[in-house]
Amino acid sequence: MISDQAKKEIDFWVTKYPEGRQSSAVMQALTIVQNENGGSLTGELIQEVADHLQMPTISVQEVATFYENYNHKPVGKHIIRFCHNISCMLNGSDELISYLEEKLEVKTGEVSKDGLVSVKKVECLGACVGGPMCQIGDQYHEHLTPSKLDNILDNLK
Amino acid sequence: MSEIEFEIDGKLVTANQGDSIISIADREGIDVPRFCYHKKLSVAANCRMCLVDVEGVPKAQPACSTPVASGMKIHTRNDKAKSAQKAVMEFLLINHPLDCPICDQGGECELQDVAMEYGTDVSKFNLGKRIVADKGIGALIQTDMTRCIHCTRCVRFGAEVAGIVEMGGTGRGEGVKIEPFLTEGIQSELSGNMIDVCPVGALTSKPFRYEARTWQMNAVETIARHDLVGSNIYTQTYRGRVKRVVARDNELVNETWISDRDRFSYEGLNHESRALHPKIKKNNKWQETSWEVALDFAISGLKKNTQNADQLGVLASKNSTLEEYYLMQKLARGFGSDNIDYRLDKADLSIGNTMLSNITLAEMESTDHALIVNSYLRLEQPMINHRIRKATLNGASVNTINNKKFDFNYQTDLEILSSPQKTLLMLQSILKSLHERTKTTVPKYLSKLTVDDSQNKIADDLIAAERPVIILGEHVNSNISSSDIASIISEIAALANAKIANLSLNGNSLSAEKVGFKPSNNGKNAISMFTENTKAFLLMDVDFNYDFIDSKLAADTFNNDDVFVISLNSFEDEITLMNSDVILPLAGFYESSGTHINFDGVAQSFSASVKGPGDSKPGWKIIKVLADILELNGFEYTDSTQVADDALSMSSANNNDLVENNIKETDDSKVAVHWQYSPYAIDGITRKAKALQETPIGKMNDAFISLATAKELKLSEGDLYHGVPVSINETVAEGCVFVHTYQSRKG
Repeated sequence: MISDQAKKEIDFWVTKYPEGRQSSAVMQALTIVQNENGGSLTGELIQEVADHLQMPTISVQEVATFYENYNHKPVGKHIIRFCHNISCMLNGSDELISYLEEKLEVKTGEVSKDGLVSVKKVECLGACVGGPMCQIGDQYHEHLTPSKLDNILDNLK
Repeated sequence: MSEIEFEIDGKLVTANQGDSIISIADREGIDVPRFCYHKKLSVAANCRMCLVDVEGVPKAQPACSTPVASGMKIHTRNDKAKSAQKAVMEFLLINHPLDCPICDQGGECELQDVAMEYGTDVSKFNLGKRIVADKGIGALIQTDMTRCIHCTRCVRFGAEVAGIVEMGGTGRGEGVKIEPFLTEGIQSELSGNMIDVCPVGALTSKPFRYEARTWQMNAVETIARHDLVGSNIYTQTYRGRVKRVVARDNELVNETWISDRDRFSYEGLNHESRALHPKIKKNNKWQETSWEVALDFAISGLKKNTQNADQLGVLASKNSTLEEYYLMQKLARGFGSDNIDYRLDKADLSIGNTMLSNITLAEMESTDHALIVNSYLRLEQPMINHRIRKATLNGASVNTINNKKFDFNYQTDLEILSSPQKTLLMLQSILKSLHERTKTTVPKYLSKLTVDDSQNKIADDLIAAERPVIILGEHVNSNISSSDIASIISEIAALANAKIANLSLNGNSLSAEKVGFKPSNNGKNAISMFTENTKAFLLMDVDFNYDFIDSKLAADTFNNDDVFVISLNSFEDEITLMNSDVILPLAGFYESSGTHINFDGVAQSFSASVKGPGDSKPGWKIIKVLADILELNGFEYTDSTQVADDALSMSSANNNDLVENNIKETDDSKVAVHWQYSPYAIDGITRKAKALQETPIGKMNDAFISLATAKELKLSEGDLYHGVPVSINETVAEGCVFVHTYQSRKG
């Protein structure tokens, strides 16, 4: 269920677009709903967003599955979004991702046992100059090495 | 639009500014390969197959999305175009399974055809192909999404034509999947067209799955006669059976589309309850017999039971052919009986509502305002609704006056709820409002009526529109004031300068009207036959459970021991056996030649696609032989086209008398019931088509009642109302039970 508070927030975004174009707010709506639901979306929530924005449900589903920033399975408290595109890959992102997977005992796309961290491979985040890199919350972490990663993980609570 | 001149494959041609290259190539008979382009859908340009070379442009251009320009030189098959097309073909085949030998689309597949010409015999791609798990999208469409090439024709069809966005492209890049959000079944009444538009074997017909290969079948041009449109179709037959129905283009009738009802109803032909041999009932025991014996038994029973000719009643369903109607009325009248009728489901037969339509199907889409009265147009006349939907896309507005709010696939402006008993009054108020607005004299009988805001708005909208149309639907048939309603609508239309579309004459009713298949003088009609001493019946394709407005009254008569019933029927279910004395097996839809007169008044004739199973015979032949045995004159026909010629040359005996208008006292205290069959339960063959019954539309089974009315009737949610679960719902008019179901009419 989408809370009234979230609906209010969605309606705020709807006002930014011309009347009758409420569907333009679908990405913000999905983000708001996802945040409220602990970081992931469900079929029911997508249905509710569609109803609220008077859109065909499949059109919302199209948006929600197109963008990497929407999750369709439960996620950890922190999501490590690891870039695996060309610059990061050339600088060893694959090895770092394997390192993370081993250390946290998770596979990409899964949540660690304690529910704290999940790892996700994402496309270029526009920080090629600092590759290999990842994003945790709103923070970019660049020029990563295994020890830097250890340090970052130790600070996640 | 200005004409421009340009060159395509060395040929100088002209076109309008804005035309796409592909549309001109098609016009000129130049074959450009394509998958995503479809003449009736928007341009997506995502398959890239139609790349052509435009001189002066460095890269090959998609012919579907490139508009022609003056002086352009286009090459569709030079080296540059060919190599671009071949490269695209190679990409499209990367993830395609190439399982043509087990694919139903094999042999009629656009991908297969184009790959023959543009593909190579060995693929350079040696990595794993992707596989898409099938979710299933209902009883009508078989999905094999691994074969999908993401042309998005089905997605655009849903959004642009069906008006219900159900399919979509989820995911991204290599992960794109074409799928619906819900898996419990596609809701659209036009969904089968997705099969036709799919260029590969991703969407195929589920009932047809693995039934036959396309090259084994014969295609026969014919007409679907479930509704007023008479959609043009091909029946595809194999070993004497109809295996599949597909659409046939006719811009004036059904364009490129057909409804699911027309596409999948053929399954009913192969139902296990088909009547295969003539049967007679002797001493309450049924025995199979030969045609000779059955016909003699029928005629002797008929003669024995009718002291005078007036005791014979002749009834036919609204889906019979023109020829059958013509010969049956000729037989009855030759025999001396005027007790003839096809209006089995109408409550008001006084003069009948025979208001004529004066708009054509093609004109419907250029209307700018529609007033829909008593119709769930989308499900009842899908192809007419499609025309109205096209009109709304061009800015037309729609108002409705219905017993219940319905789910139209376009925006409606004002939806007025009006129970059956109040509909006449509602329309009279609108008429009064129109009189006031056009400054014409308000007739005396309207003077005391009050007019409210919504009625004024309906009148205003009609006057403001340039090309308005008023659509009267089939819910009016169960209304005891339907003739009055029709005549008020005629008056409204005259005042507002609106066209009329009378869709309450459904099926092949216009053929019946054409040959006067109803009492002309003092004959008994479909109701009085049961109350006034009719001793023998000749019935054509009549379903005792479903067809009669008062099935109990009808059953009481048919069950009576001294009433002799001759049933010409394609099916022999329990109720037919119980009520009949002779069953003459009737060839069904597509098994008999005939004629359907459609909404535009066009008589569309068709030949038989297959022979009827067992000993069944076409209706017109059976009646001809019955008439011969009765020694009636004028039945010297050897071919159904001779019958059609005679029928069509009849001067239309349409006694379209206007009723004297006055305010009728209607009993508001009583709750009115409208029993509406699901669109897949409107005639014998659809009811027996299994896949249609398994769709969301086919499973409709609700008695909608408003809370206040439910309290009055002491019903609560989930109770059974004559066998149909009650759904308490404020979208239905007060004082009305709107039953929408596949179940037969009871009570």
